[in-house]
Amino acid sequence: MSSPPIPRKTMLLSAVLGVSLIASGCTVANSEYVTGGGAGGLRIVLPEEPPTLEACQSSLTSTGVVIRSNITEPLVERDADTGELGPKLATEWEQTSDETWTFTLREGVTFTDGTPFDAEAAAFTIDRAVNSDLGCEVEGYVFGDTDLDVKVVDDTTLTVTTPEPDPILPLRLSFVEMVSPKTSTTEKVRVPIGTGPYEVADWQAGQRLSLDVNPNYWGDAPGYQSVNYVWRAEGSVRAAMVTNGEADIATSLAPEDGAGELAVAYRNNETTALRIQSDEPPLDDIRIRQAVNSVIDRNTLVQTLFENLATPAGELIPEGVVGYNPDEKIWPYSPSEAKRLVDEARADGVPVDTEIRLIARTGQFPRIAETVEVIQNELEKAGLNVKIQMMDTNTQLTYQIRPFPEDTGPYLLMIMHGNQAGDAAFTLDQYMLSEGYQSSWGTEEFDGMIREAEALKGSERQAAFEKLWPYEQEKIVQYAYIAHMSAILAKSASVSYEPDSATGDEMRLAEMSPVS
Amino acid sequence: MTGFLRRRAFTSLLPLIAVLLGVFFLARLTGDPANLYLPVSATPEQRQQFIEQNGLDDSVWAQMWDYLGGILRLDFGESLRTGESAATMALRAFPATLQLAFSTMLIAVAGAIVIGCWAAYRPNSIADRISSFLSMTAASVPDFWFAIIGVWIFAVGLGWLPTSGVTGGMASWVLPVATLVIRPLGVLTQVVRGAMVSALSAPYVRLARSKGAGDLRVVTHHALRNAAAPALTVAGDLMVGLINGAVVVETIFGWPGIGKLMIDSILGRDFAVLQACVLLTAVSIFVLNILIDIGYALLDARVREKVSA
Repeated sequence: MSSPPIPRKTMLLSAVLGVSLIASGCTVANSEYVTGGGAGGLRIVLPEEPPTLEACQSSLTSTGVVIRSNITEPLVERDADTGELGPKLATEWEQTSDETWTFTLREGVTFTDGTPFDAEAAAFTIDRAVNSDLGCEVEGYVFGDTDLDVKVVDDTTLTVTTPEPDPILPLRLSFVEMVSPKTSTTEKVRVPIGTGPYEVADWQAGQRLSLDVNPNYWGDAPGYQSVNYVWRAEGSVRAAMVTNGEADIATSLAPEDGAGELAVAYRNNETTALRIQSDEPPLDDIRIRQAVNSVIDRNTLVQTLFENLATPAGELIPEGVVGYNPDEKIWPYSPSEAKRLVDEARADGVPVDTEIRLIARTGQFPRIAETVEVIQNELEKAGLNVKIQMMDTNTQLTYQIRPFPEDTGPYLLMIMHGNQAGDAAFTLDQYMLSEGYQSSWGTEEFDGMIREAEALKGSERQAAFEKLWPYEQEKIVQYAYIAHMSAILAKSASVSYEPDSATGDEMRLAEMSPVS
Repeated sequence: MTGFLRRRAFTSLLPLIAVLLGVFFLARLTGDPANLYLPVSATPEQRQQFIEQNGLDDSVWAQMWDYLGGILRLDFGESLRTGESAATMALRAFPATLQLAFSTMLIAVAGAIVIGCWAAYRPNSIADRISSFLSMTAASVPDFWFAIIGVWIFAVGLGWLPTSGVTGGMASWVLPVATLVIRPLGVLTQVVRGAMVSALSAPYVRLARSKGAGDLRVVTHHALRNAAAPALTVAGDLMVGLINGAVVVETIFGWPGIGKLMIDSILGRDFAVLQACVLLTAVSIFVLNILIDIGYALLDARVREKVSA
């Protein structure tokens, strides 16, 4: 019997060992970071890595939450609690004619590449974000098809003119984050050069993103010298990172993620609702739409599935948004009324047995699956034939945004709308106008009421908006509103920070400081 | 040997091409990415411009030829999400997955040999019970459950390990590797145990014993060598599974590997990146299969004779 070929076996084993050790050695050498935070820095864990930090994409949640008011800044900013606009890179603004607003800019501000911030730079940014072919998120979200006429009067004065009078132009411009005039105008950039209290120090794709304080910042120096973002998809891991001392702040948590005493719940501006696609029977019959509204037990959903972190809703915007109706009517829960309405429709020949799809998006909000199951169960009891269909974001969006897919049969679509801008116009245009991008139907009369309200200012605007919500509930019934939601973040005891309704979209680092 | 390798390479190439085309067409069945990348209020013109810019208006066949032509030129397209080259993103993510898979496999193989040999040598011993426990657990408990429970016990409860991450030194490797190792360790231990049981009762082992070889020498020099071949084949398959299936573990632990990149690309309808990831994974599995064959031949004289014939 020959002796075993030891050299060969050893060779094979050494090769595997060697590759593995070399491979792991690269990482071990770099062990100063646990979560990416250096000493004394603030460590934040987000659910996803921003795909880009391009400033004109800042209405994308994952991008905006990192860059807005941290790396870049707008001309004016909205106070999330009061809805009032305050100065940022503009110190004053006024409407100088029906179509024109004049902005006076702050002096002595420079971008982090050394370029001075002046009216030329502001005009450059607005043209780039709104009037270009870049296809910026902010253009579509905030300005629609409107192009702006931007003129430099002198170094610190800028005028912006719209084709039609726009009473909320400064609010719209609060979404345009100023970038250095050296930024490319032909393509989107991954990292912006702004004027904010921080600048990007290092972005290791897939692993972490580090910001350093901007030493030449025009405003007060923020509380942390550096900030490090990492991302973990799993909510319970994000929460555990804070409880375990690996991160200081973790966002987008669910009640069951286990942040314990470190969890902070706060009202965000999201509202959940079912959009009732009203172009096919039986949902084109108002009685069926009323029945859908009657079977949703908003109070119980809020108390049980949402753990009292939400409030029942009767309109699509929450308190704090201009146009919110404080006397909102919550549709009463009445399964017997729902059954009566369905039976009545059936007697009139409405095909109530047609299968209706109840469409929702996986992970849309915590306990989405349980929520739609409860609603489906109630709808079945009322006599409707409902099938749940969970979709991923892209597939669900094809149902949410016009043009809607055709010949799909009737469906109910779970939506969650967040009005980041703080004015009902942004909601009404998209969700309520009969041809709105996310609206299944409406009436000419209602369209007219919306248009009229949107042209008004101040208290008249507020009063006109308030009347639209009860009208929608009585005459249109496109939506079954469910709840105004809350968000949860976990915060280490060593950080002082009060989240507000804008935190989900704009987490201002300058408002965070070490507890002294 | 070269003839064997050439035949083996040819037969592996067909599934490789099938996988690439399969992913290409399946990805396109999942819908148009325009909704994800354009503002909700994008005009039909903006939508059309996006579709044209990204070549999504061509027929699927034209897109396929374009993709295959790109592969030949080593041009894998750009990410819709980040604008970066898809190949760069896939190549950047791949080492993290390989590190994880190799480390896991090394531990699984070493553990399986020790436990498997011990179990086979002493049936119903502690090692035998460990081996059946491991294989039962591996077969019945999903990865994500291990991962989350591991985080809760060892990171949150005991505070011994970081919850996640990749750059935290060896400690950050423990939970991901421990989660991944259970399945291969369970399966391999069973294979080694089974092969060793039959090897230890084979005539040549009895002969070795009768010639006065000690227990350790019998196990390591005689029985294990013959038991190694089936274990190696299974280990190869498990390795393929590890590279492919690190998705859950990478997502939970924020491990920036190819599994996580694939998931992100699927959710983002980022076709170019998804294709680059699949291509890279498929090619490495192809290479790995050939390495396994070579290893198998080196260890087993019967295969060696067959392939050199």
